[in-house]
Amino acid sequence: MANWPASPNLIGKSIPRLDGLLKASGKAKYPSDVRPEGTLFGVMLYSPYAHARVKSIDLSPAETMPGVKAAIAIAKAGTPLRYQGDDIAAVAAETEEQARDAIRAIKVEYEVLPHVVTEHQAMAEGAPEVFKGSNIRNNSRKGRSQTKGNPEEAMSKADVTIEGTYSLPVITHVCLEPHGLTAKWEGPDKLTVWASTQAVQVVAGELADALDIPVANVTVLTDYMGGGFGSKFSADVWGRTAAELAQKAGKPVKLFLDRAQEHLAAGNRPSAAGKIKLGATRDGKLVALIATTHGTGGARGGSLFPLPYVYDVAASARTHNEVFVNCGGARAMRAPGHPQACALMEAAMDDLADKLGIDPLEFRLKNLAPGDFHTPIYEGEVRQGAELIGWREKRKPRGQNGGGPVRHGLGMALHQWGGGGTQDKKVSCTINPDGSVELKAATQDIGTGARTILAVIAAEVLGLRPTDIISNIGNSSFPPGQPSGGSTTSPSMAPPCLDAVTRARDAMFKKVAPTVQAAAEDLELRNGQLYVEGEPIMGWKEACRKLGMASISETGSAADGLASVGVGGCQFAEVTVDIETGVVRVKKIVAIQDSGLIIDRLTWESQVYGGVIMGLNYGLFEERIMDPETGVMLNPDLEFYKLAGASDIPEIVVRAYDPPDQKARGVIGVGEPPTISTAAAIANAVTNAIGVRVPEWPMTPRNVLNALATASKEGKA
Amino acid sequence: MNAFDFAAPTSVEDAVKLLDGQNTAALAGGTDLLGRIKDQVTSPQRVVYLKDIKASSGISGDAGSGLTIGAGTLLAAIVEHKAIREAYPALWQSTTEVGTPQIRNMATLGGNLLQRPRCWYFRAGNGLLAMKDGKSLVRGGDNRYHAIFMTDGDALYVNPSSLAVPLIALGATATIKGPKGERTVPVEDLYQVPRTDKDSELSVASGELLTKVMIPPARGKNASYEVRQKQAHDWPFVLASVNLTMDGDKVSASRIVIYGVAPVPWRSNAAEKSITGKPVTMETAAVAGEDATEGAMPLSMNAYKVSLTKTAVKRALLAAVGNRYWEV
Repeated sequence: MANWPASPNLIGKSIPRLDGLLKASGKAKYPSDVRPEGTLFGVMLYSPYAHARVKSIDLSPAETMPGVKAAIAIAKAGTPLRYQGDDIAAVAAETEEQARDAIRAIKVEYEVLPHVVTEHQAMAEGAPEVFKGSNIRNNSRKGRSQTKGNPEEAMSKADVTIEGTYSLPVITHVCLEPHGLTAKWEGPDKLTVWASTQAVQVVAGELADALDIPVANVTVLTDYMGGGFGSKFSADVWGRTAAELAQKAGKPVKLFLDRAQEHLAAGNRPSAAGKIKLGATRDGKLVALIATTHGTGGARGGSLFPLPYVYDVAASARTHNEVFVNCGGARAMRAPGHPQACALMEAAMDDLADKLGIDPLEFRLKNLAPGDFHTPIYEGEVRQGAELIGWREKRKPRGQNGGGPVRHGLGMALHQWGGGGTQDKKVSCTINPDGSVELKAATQDIGTGARTILAVIAAEVLGLRPTDIISNIGNSSFPPGQPSGGSTTSPSMAPPCLDAVTRARDAMFKKVAPTVQAAAEDLELRNGQLYVEGEPIMGWKEACRKLGMASISETGSAADGLASVGVGGCQFAEVTVDIETGVVRVKKIVAIQDSGLIIDRLTWESQVYGGVIMGLNYGLFEERIMDPETGVMLNPDLEFYKLAGASDIPEIVVRAYDPPDQKARGVIGVGEPPTISTAAAIANAVTNAIGVRVPEWPMTPRNVLNALATASKEGKA
Repeated sequence: MNAFDFAAPTSVEDAVKLLDGQNTAALAGGTDLLGRIKDQVTSPQRVVYLKDIKASSGISGDAGSGLTIGAGTLLAAIVEHKAIREAYPALWQSTTEVGTPQIRNMATLGGNLLQRPRCWYFRAGNGLLAMKDGKSLVRGGDNRYHAIFMTDGDALYVNPSSLAVPLIALGATATIKGPKGERTVPVEDLYQVPRTDKDSELSVASGELLTKVMIPPARGKNASYEVRQKQAHDWPFVLASVNLTMDGDKVSASRIVIYGVAPVPWRSNAAEKSITGKPVTMETAAVAGEDATEGAMPLSMNAYKVSLTKTAVKRALLAAVGNRYWEV
């Protein structure tokens, strides 16, 4: 069985991604860049109302418009529309403008129904129902409650308690490349699509099902894609519709959502709000947590998140209310549930540490689960992070950060994640007589560097450079590959890649050995050379020529011991807060992350940077703003849906926590964990700076000034 | 978007003729108009492109005699202008903070002054006043970015031009050419408060063209201070511009104008009165900031703008005398 090399040449080094230059220079063709000859533009018509029923729909005015080649009704008379952005119809035309004009010409009669678009509206007495039954579904029914020990009794014995109310808004994925695909029929039952997806084989299967054609005849191609973050696993209604429009029109159809529909219908991270009571002994050991929380995943649900989070609490009780509203449904978003859990838990932890008068860093270390595998890892990470942010020199107790208008603060938070792989994926490796090496797998590069990671592994085993390897992924017809979700891609794909390339190399040795009068076990590949008993005898290409006419092709599978699951990490934030304007500036983030064996340190670090930046946006800027009266989203754009620009990004210090025992664990995914604790750490730093808790995310001037005003009214600041 | 006629005249006279008539729109940088057309907020039958009119761009004059800035002048050209940077920091500072470098390379001074409000109810197609069944969507809805002054009226959006504010503080005038000839008005007179959704918030009529802005000679001290959330592309929450005539250490006359608080650039007589006759100190500036909020009637979600108004006025005053206490 293959194993990771004990002293690798490439694995663990910083290696530029194979397609980095293509991406940076604009030469990489993303699915939304692909326009086969004759491509028509598809546009969706979606519900302008938060809640309505279609009374009638008439496509004919659109069908006769100039350039229009096909129109399809998705909704029919009687179809309920449960959110602004819900699918109604689609049109394909020769130009985008013609398609957009045609969409507006479709005649739809609506019966507009009462809506609820905020949790406040949905939870009110007598609120209109999103689905039959209550808008609130809680987990306290039998078998679903989350109670451990006797929390009421434990709380009553706690020396010190706090009760805090905290909330985070719904945010959306904001993939730079919108959802969609270009569909081209190659024959009556044969389809090729270029899809912006994080799961080529899932999309192929869904399209085959929806269109009733063999999945073997559906090829989904995703050479590159502009962000998914959990929202792009499916072909979706619009993807299926694009294929149907293409079928009807007899021409390829490109259908990608516009920015507004991206915000409205293509997924979001559920909100989270809660009242948390946390109790500890005088010397800072947690004894009880009692929490009532709620959140909304729109019309879809999915707002539950873990609580307590990370820390060891002997007794806890937690009730969660899932609130349904007339908004687009939630989808998985980079570490589903965890950023919310982390923000709420870590805010309460900080507030309790403050009341106890204990350094929040020490308080956290004190409450890690004794004997847990990850406890010493957290301890190591916290020590390293504290040093890099200057915790001991710079941090002052809450509210003791000077008297000027601009206050300085430090905060921290811990997080956890899985990141394990699956065992059923394959990679094929072909070594050709011309010396070219091709890897194939039906996984895709969601931006993490999957393509490069596979090439690094192959180059390591074959003694080549990563650029010598043709790493072909993003094609559903290749050997079964992992969807890019749950930080599972690398741990699922790296082991079968190692196995495939090792097998291919061994098969090559077997064929080449007799031609060089050596035993296969005496052959070695290093520095682009074939070695016999430690002596270089010929170059890689020459060695491959010995294969004659036949290529070598081997398929690899997963094996035990090459990948693992379970990571932790911590982040520290340094901020300034102008108490006269409420403006928060993040000065520095330190991110310490463990994730087992790192294949490519450069793409690994990029993942952590990206995660931190996403977390910074969650902490400072992002918020889906719904209008209770009209039921529409007020900021379905990038103007008032705020995201950091380059000048809003602080110094970010990234460190891998990977001593030898971490490397020995094998590969673990890192896509999600580094985004979890950033917003929590920033909020704790803001609180440290200004002396009062800002209970609502994001940390906008409005929320900061409101918190200061409330505290001032209560005589606290 | 609807199909429209397109014209690209090369003279102001031709542009005025082409703009005359129902439902025309002047296109300069397009950073506002194109978005409105695509979003169906504005559906002109004729678009008149102005950037081929060479005579309408450029900056002439100097700090001693006053400046004339063509309406077609790019914001990037204002940022690069040495005399503006040195003698009119209130205008320079605000211009550097508009949009992004890309936007400043396209957008013009005229377009900035005459852009339409960013109110999200207006932009969602609810009309300028956003009334539904006789009720204001803004008043009962999410008004975090809306006005805190004049809120007893129906116009609750805020004037979107962050350059009108320093220009009014500097006492600038605007020249408008129309079918009936030319008129020159104070920049503040470009704006009016609409009574109904059919009224415009701009006093420039269809068929009229803003051609240039003239700024009087620079005397005294001027400065702007903007409160915004992001450092990259963002709108100000509140921006204050001050222009002070000094008599020794004391302010003998002042103009103080605030963005983001009213449907028009808000001239704060209270703050002007407060600082006039006094030296600008931490104390007098703070009092002037406090006085600037006199008469503020915040809506349900924007009380924080009252605090921002105090701070912006205080800091603009102190910036004018070189005290940037918040930077230490």
